[in-house]
Amino acid sequence: MYLPDFDYQSPGSLKEACQILAAFGSRARVLAGGTDLMIKMKHGLLAPDVLVSLKNISQLAGIGYVQGRGVVIGARATHNDLVNSPVLQKKYLSVCEAAHHMANNQIRNVGTVGGNIVNAVPSADLPPILIALNAAVKLVGADGERELPLESFFTGPNRSVIGTDEILSEIVIPDQTSTGSTYMKFGLRRSGALAVVGVAVAVTVAGGVLKEAKIALGAVSPTPMRAVKAEELIRGRAVTDELLEEAGVCAAGECSPISDIRGSKEYRQDMVRVFTRRALRRAINEGHV
Amino acid sequence: MNENYSVIGKSVPKMDGRVKVTGQAKYTGDLKFPNMLVGKILTSPHAHARIISIDTSKAEKLPGVKAVITHRDVPSLKYGISPARWDENIFCIDKVRFVGDKVAAVAALDEETVYRALKLIRVEYEVLPAVFDPVEAIREGAPRIHDEYPMNINTEIHQNFGDVEKAFAEAHHVRTDLFMGQRTYQCPIEPHSAISIWEGGKLTVYSSTQSPHYHQYYIAREFGLKMGDVRVIKTFVGGGFGGKLEPTGLEFAGAALSRITGRPVKMFYDRHEMFAHNRGRHRQIMEVTTGVDKNGKILGLHANFIMDGGAYTSLGIASAYYAGAMLTLTYDFENYKFDMIRAYTNLPACGAQRGHGAPQPRYALEAHLDMVARDLGIDPLELRLRNARQPNTITPNEFKVNSCELTACIEKARELSGWKQKKGNLPSGRGIGLAVGSFVSGAGYPIYRTNLPQAAAIIKVHEDGSAATLYTGATDIGQGSDTVLCQMAAEAMGYFYENMKIVSADTETTPHDFGAYASRQTLMSGSAVKQAGEEVKQQLLEMAGEMMELPPGELDCREGIVFSKYSPEATRTFAEVAREFFVQKGPLVGRGSYTPPKLGGKFKGAPVGTSPAYSFAAQISEVEIDGETGQIDVKEVWDVHDCGMVINPALLRGQVHGALFMGMGESVWEEVVFDKNGRILNGNLGEYRMPTAVDMPKITSELVESYEPAAPWGVKEVGEGATIPTMGCFSNAIYDAMGVRVYSLPLSYEKVWRALKEKKEMESGLKSAAGRIYDKC
Ligand SMILES: Cc1cc2nc3c(=O)[nH]c(=O)nc-3n(C[C@H](O)[C@H](O)[C@H](O)COP(=O)(O)OP(=O)(O)OC[C@H]3O[C@@H](n4cnc5c(N)ncnc54)[C@H](O)[C@@H]3O)c2cc1C
Repeated sequence: MYLPDFDYQSPGSLKEACQILAAFGSRARVLAGGTDLMIKMKHGLLAPDVLVSLKNISQLAGIGYVQGRGVVIGARATHNDLVNSPVLQKKYLSVCEAAHHMANNQIRNVGTVGGNIVNAVPSADLPPILIALNAAVKLVGADGERELPLESFFTGPNRSVIGTDEILSEIVIPDQTSTGSTYMKFGLRRSGALAVVGVAVAVTVAGGVLKEAKIALGAVSPTPMRAVKAEELIRGRAVTDELLEEAGVCAAGECSPISDIRGSKEYRQDMVRVFTRRALRRAINEGHV
Repeated sequence: MNENYSVIGKSVPKMDGRVKVTGQAKYTGDLKFPNMLVGKILTSPHAHARIISIDTSKAEKLPGVKAVITHRDVPSLKYGISPARWDENIFCIDKVRFVGDKVAAVAALDEETVYRALKLIRVEYEVLPAVFDPVEAIREGAPRIHDEYPMNINTEIHQNFGDVEKAFAEAHHVRTDLFMGQRTYQCPIEPHSAISIWEGGKLTVYSSTQSPHYHQYYIAREFGLKMGDVRVIKTFVGGGFGGKLEPTGLEFAGAALSRITGRPVKMFYDRHEMFAHNRGRHRQIMEVTTGVDKNGKILGLHANFIMDGGAYTSLGIASAYYAGAMLTLTYDFENYKFDMIRAYTNLPACGAQRGHGAPQPRYALEAHLDMVARDLGIDPLELRLRNARQPNTITPNEFKVNSCELTACIEKARELSGWKQKKGNLPSGRGIGLAVGSFVSGAGYPIYRTNLPQAAAIIKVHEDGSAATLYTGATDIGQGSDTVLCQMAAEAMGYFYENMKIVSADTETTPHDFGAYASRQTLMSGSAVKQAGEEVKQQLLEMAGEMMELPPGELDCREGIVFSKYSPEATRTFAEVAREFFVQKGPLVGRGSYTPPKLGGKFKGAPVGTSPAYSFAAQISEVEIDGETGQIDVKEVWDVHDCGMVINPALLRGQVHGALFMGMGESVWEEVVFDKNGRILNGNLGEYRMPTAVDMPKITSELVESYEPAAPWGVKEVGEGATIPTMGCFSNAIYDAMGVRVYSLPLSYEKVWRALKEKKEMESGLKSAAGRIYDKC
């Protein structure tokens, strides 16, 4: 439990940061809130020579609405920035709520949305709701930038498509046709517990019919995943309790959780059933919450 | 509160409140000494392995390293806090017995170098088969962990009082249930640390300890030093809960490193190392059988237990005896049988955790009795009232109970919680449960055999009478003994709390006391303090008598004023009399000491569980269960205690809240988990889930009128007693809510979910079976 030596850089621009990253390759790491990185370094799981802090790159902070793009969230926004953002509170309270149920207040004050995504942990709380809302991520590298759906960002536990010279700069939630969304986290105590399962949904309901539904699951497969069969099953059908239960059963069948100290595979699957149904019900009845 | 007292019975502010909240309080880890080195222990990565060789040469060459030591450099005398089973070495000699066992240590100029040096020590192991389950450990052919202990049996107990077989034969109903406990860890917020300074022939140790005395005694023994040449000083301590009672590798290795280097050496555990050192709660496997008559009167009880002791004894012999001994306290019955095996396993050693061996067996008994009550169709609260122990009785295992207001506790808890209205009437998913408990107010006998008094105290009044200092070996680890003892001193002297100073828990400057364990200090240290205070007052009144030309017997002193009981206008201040005393006779000093009366029976193990006085408690909890997820939402808890006269109500409530917090954690969330190789999977506060502030329910902490004749001012314990009933109380509330019984701790969401699922499957199985029968009709 001793932090090894490293060099520290805090460039003032994205470009400069990417250049440093490109120069050091896998010997460098981006430092945002450090709530994942520092722990790994203290445990000897990572020993980067250089940490490139994002703290002086002001363009990465802030959350705002951009006409034509949607809600743009700077990667360095902390969880509490999400919780307290008037734009998100107005449009997607579900994102604020998801952030609010993470970790504990100390961590929410420093941990960032970018770190939560790039860390690529299956139980991370923000990816499911952002995926359900169709969010895209922008990656800026030494020789250019690209934007891709968050859903295709993850490739496995702690793995993603991001290059060693790339920085996740922003997350964009496009304008929605959905009428409701929510994230339900099932953890083993009220604070400071990682998700046993996390279920996010976004629904488009009109005249009692589910026109469209997106279901994104966390902590039940190597990456956050969509329950596409369950989505298909309910698309275009009238909302009934039975239908939502069926969606839950279907989603439970689609996921592939592991057994670990937080819960058995069997338990996780059943919780996917329960929380898929509950999340759908909540989003249908209450909107973006 | 009682009008007769002016200092005790009041929630005066804590002595150390200000320095703690402002961050000025210095814990051992905050201390620095000139030339101080940092030390760290290299531990075993294997659960069971023979040490083939240890090569420290590379580590020794690393710049900044001042010493690297192994078993070759330290005494090979075995130690342990339980004298009957000394089985630990400072460093392992031939074998390691759990992941975390001590192999070598390094002292270096700074922390970074120490960690690097540890990595350079080469240890060659021959890995041996290991055993992690106590039942497997005592089977024929299991790997033997200590050569001296065949079948891995560390402690075996068979006690028999009355005639249980006969009681069962005559009983209206006999029921047996089997329960599983779990390993939990105390998790004090402050990690253990120790600074050892060996200068000339003298060793000084600053330590995060619950007992400077036991540290001093065992460190002196290990290094062949005179007790007087070992000084142990407690700094501020951030909690212990039983885990800091015995000296650890930090003190032993630290002392050796300091002797070799001639410099102060600071050692500490990080959070994971704390879990590995452990000495937390034993996992017990508990079979409970009772026989009752048709009214639910208990006729006989048989407790048949096995406990997982881990790789060493620690305080485990006492834990094993306590597990059975304490079950007899709450209910009045004559026939009792207790069988126990404490097995060695290749896991970290277990010891005493708040409530010592008692909480898990109590959970088993209280859950079991609810099942018995259900079998008989009797309200479980009523069943307890029918069996509740009464004052001035003797338990079958010969504990003398003086004050006992258990019945009043149960009745008051029933009123406060609205039991009568709620029981059976709550909506589905909501439940209410009750359990009771009792605990010692100090152990009747110290841990090793000695005729030293349990506690001693000195009070020295300042020369001008403007202050008085209490010197006590009693050990404040956050619970507030410094405060309570100063209140008691001031009361006995007729003085002010505000003018009291305290020097405590330093073996060189304070008189002997065994320390903070077994909830002993308010009664035992308090007795010594009261006596010392009275001796001060006696001398003061004699002096005042001379000054006032009145017979001292006519005088009294209260709140700093000496007055005549017959002519109240004749007064002197405490300060002026004390000053005059100093001028005429020298220092005004009072002394006190406390030795309990001979307690207990003559059978093997009879001393464990004896105490001058016992606290009693009833707890009721109300929970709401999510029938689909098994999630447990604790709505409210009521704790009603008989803890005698209360010296400081605020501190008492703090203890009840804290004990409930721990008990709640152990009930629902906490368990130390290992992989199949004996490595801890959750040695951190993220995955070892203690409750957080937001998990805490509303708590009502109430008292019943009680006075303990064997104690100063009638006091009894509270610190551990409130942990005892909690697990049983939750088990019963969950059962009440859902009709399912989880037979193992913790009563986790998943276990409740599984029990509900099994119940549903069984019911639908029964229904379809019934359906098939109807089909045939
Ligand atoms: C006590 C505790 C509780 C926690 N509870 C939760 C919880 O309930 N739910 C949950 O989801 N997580 C939880 N976490 C994990 C963690 O806090 C979050 O994942 C957090 O969002 C990480 O953000 P960060 O800014 O601290 O990341 P950092 O630690 O700074 O970085 C994490 C990783 O992402 C990389 N990185 C960070 N930002 C960027 C970027 N913009 N571009 C490229 N790479 C980047 C870093 O190089 C590093 O590899 C918890 C952590 C702790 C310590």
